[in-house]
Amino acid sequence: MRTAEFRRELRAWLDGHDLAPGDDHGLDAQVAQLARVRRALWEADWMRYGWPREVGGLGGPGVLRAVLGEEVASRDLAEPGIWSMVEVLVPTLIDYAPPALAAEMVPRLLSGREQWCQGFSEPGSGSDLASLSTRAVRDNGGDWVVSGQKVWTSLAQYAARCVLLARTGGPGHDGISAFFVDMDSPGITVRPLRTMHGVDEFAEVFLDEVRVPGERLLGAPGDGWKLAMDLLPHERSTCFWHRIAHLHSRLDRLLADGCEPDAGALGAAWLDLHTARCRSALTQRALAEGGRLGPETSVDKILLATAEQRLFDTARDLLPGTVELTDEGAWRTEYLYSRAATIYGGTAEIQRNIAARRLLDLGKE
Amino acid sequence: MDAEERELLEQTLRKTMSGASGPVLDASLADLGWAEMLAEEPGTAIPLVFRLLGETGAHASVLNDIVLRETGGPPGRTPALPYTGGLWVEWARDGSADDCPLDPSLPLRRVAAGGAVPLAEGRRALGWWLLGTGRAMLALARRHVLDRHQFGRPLASFQALRHRLAEAYVGLEGAEAVLTATGDDDTCALLAKAAAGRAALTAARHCQQALGGIGFTAEHDLHRHVKRALVLDGLLGSARDLTREAGSLLLREGRTPRLVDL
Ligand SMILES: Cc1cc2nc3c(=O)[nH]c(=O)nc-3n(C[C@H](O)[C@H](O)[C@H](O)COP(=O)(O)OP(=O)(O)OC[C@H]3O[C@@H](n4cnc5c(N)ncnc54)[C@H](O)[C@@H]3O)c2cc1C
Repeated sequence: MRTAEFRRELRAWLDGHDLAPGDDHGLDAQVAQLARVRRALWEADWMRYGWPREVGGLGGPGVLRAVLGEEVASRDLAEPGIWSMVEVLVPTLIDYAPPALAAEMVPRLLSGREQWCQGFSEPGSGSDLASLSTRAVRDNGGDWVVSGQKVWTSLAQYAARCVLLARTGGPGHDGISAFFVDMDSPGITVRPLRTMHGVDEFAEVFLDEVRVPGERLLGAPGDGWKLAMDLLPHERSTCFWHRIAHLHSRLDRLLADGCEPDAGALGAAWLDLHTARCRSALTQRALAEGGRLGPETSVDKILLATAEQRLFDTARDLLPGTVELTDEGAWRTEYLYSRAATIYGGTAEIQRNIAARRLLDLGKE
Repeated sequence: MDAEERELLEQTLRKTMSGASGPVLDASLADLGWAEMLAEEPGTAIPLVFRLLGETGAHASVLNDIVLRETGGPPGRTPALPYTGGLWVEWARDGSADDCPLDPSLPLRRVAAGGAVPLAEGRRALGWWLLGTGRAMLALARRHVLDRHQFGRPLASFQALRHRLAEAYVGLEGAEAVLTATGDDDTCALLAKAAAGRAALTAARHCQQALGGIGFTAEHDLHRHVKRALVLDGLLGSARDLTREAGSLLLREGRTPRLVDL
């Protein structure tokens, strides 16, 4: 199906099917809403376009997923942050899981039956992910036994599965492997963490001799780092398009909420968003033409994080007192959440390190 | 024009611009078929020629041709062009400047206020020029930090400088995306010039810092590009003017236009 046709038909369908969220903006309600939207979109097939048939999709170009997410974000049907887990983890499963496992599991996520999470960061390993110390040891039967701790794992408290990195070999990148772990396995304890914006989206995950069957290894032993690096561009293409659409809707809301008419500040916020959008459009195009995305997506990440923070800084400036004294229109929550944009998914500094090293070719620090 | 022809044209133009500037370059461009290129393949010719003017540091009076093309006036004239601050200038074709512009090689003359002219194509063209100027500064700074050592290490190994240059790079990449995605819409052109002006000024700031004392000397090339960026930014509306104009549009419409789509 062509992009424009898909968009038109999808819009018509969404106009006729009320999927608007209720008044409860708590995380439980948001996650339930996410599942409801996915289920409806899956049953009506929208959620299947752009995914391969082998995992329950209907095929077609991946750009259709960008369009779907844009419509979902623009109508505020689901928060793009929690929506994005699909875009990050499904391609990973398709590329690294045994085909039968991917075929069995992917439809569960797409259809809203399950949530999944991404267990990379550890208390001692954030930016320096390659230093992670959660260990997986193979036992005689070919299963793996995993022990360690993950932290800031988004949606872990709701997740049925986790794409988990653990050390199976020596130190460094080559010693890391990836697993697809059932979150109800004995030995896993999830402890939600409080966040500063009041939506407690992430958790600590403790793993105490958790048995993971041999066929749940993703790729070969030692492929974990490669998987993590391959996952980043997914995080920065389709999902970014969704997030940028969401931010445009927030700029609209700022105008609708009667902000101070500071044309310079509003124009600057729009210019940043428009720049991120134009860049992301080029990235989607490169992806559509079969290009492999690499370090250049750090540019997208920096542009988006900068645009997001400027937008919410502008909102705070032009709706004076709103963030501090009221929680109308979710400005407070979203302002606070925007502070994390330069931290999650690789910090602003790490992105600049990558740009300097890989894109400007400045050699080592 | 296919990719190979474009590559060849780029090489020829770059070589020409490296050896000539002003009226001499105007003549060379005419010989190379500038008028035909502009008529037949503006989408290729404008970005290429203007970006290369920036990258090589040369100048030519081709902005006049872009503006005249849009107004439909007879070729060869020098239309009055709005400058920031409510000022007006013209780009003299004989290469002479009478006021003393910050960038002394540019033949800009203050003139009386002119009539309204369509600006979209001119802004887009200047956006490409500013992008090229920004890239020229970044190339100078990059070379310098790799070559020069302090404290027994290359300057390029200091993270503070790496991040400044990364910042300059990201701004320029963003501006290029905005320039590339530009349709025929006036608003797209306005945002494109704003993005390019801002990116060039950001690059100027960071590159100047990375070059230290040498970048402050008249014999180093940096200052030429810095001054060019400052002057071109003001022409047909500065990044600040245009950003404010974009904001006024938002306030008028009450909704953010989504100007590019998949
Ligand atoms: C809202 C949110 C959701 C998240 N969700 C997940 C998730 O689902 N799964 C998951 O695995 N993780 C998740 N994370 C974790 C996230 O990936 C890490 O926070 C991030 O990688 C940074 O690691 P850190 O917090 O340990 O900070 P650190 O790495 O300790 O960094 C602290 C500061 O030092 C700077 N710094 C570190 N190294 C360098 C360097 N080499 N050069 C210059 N500066 C440097 C950083 O830029 C930062 O400013 C989430 C985080 C947040 C905030």
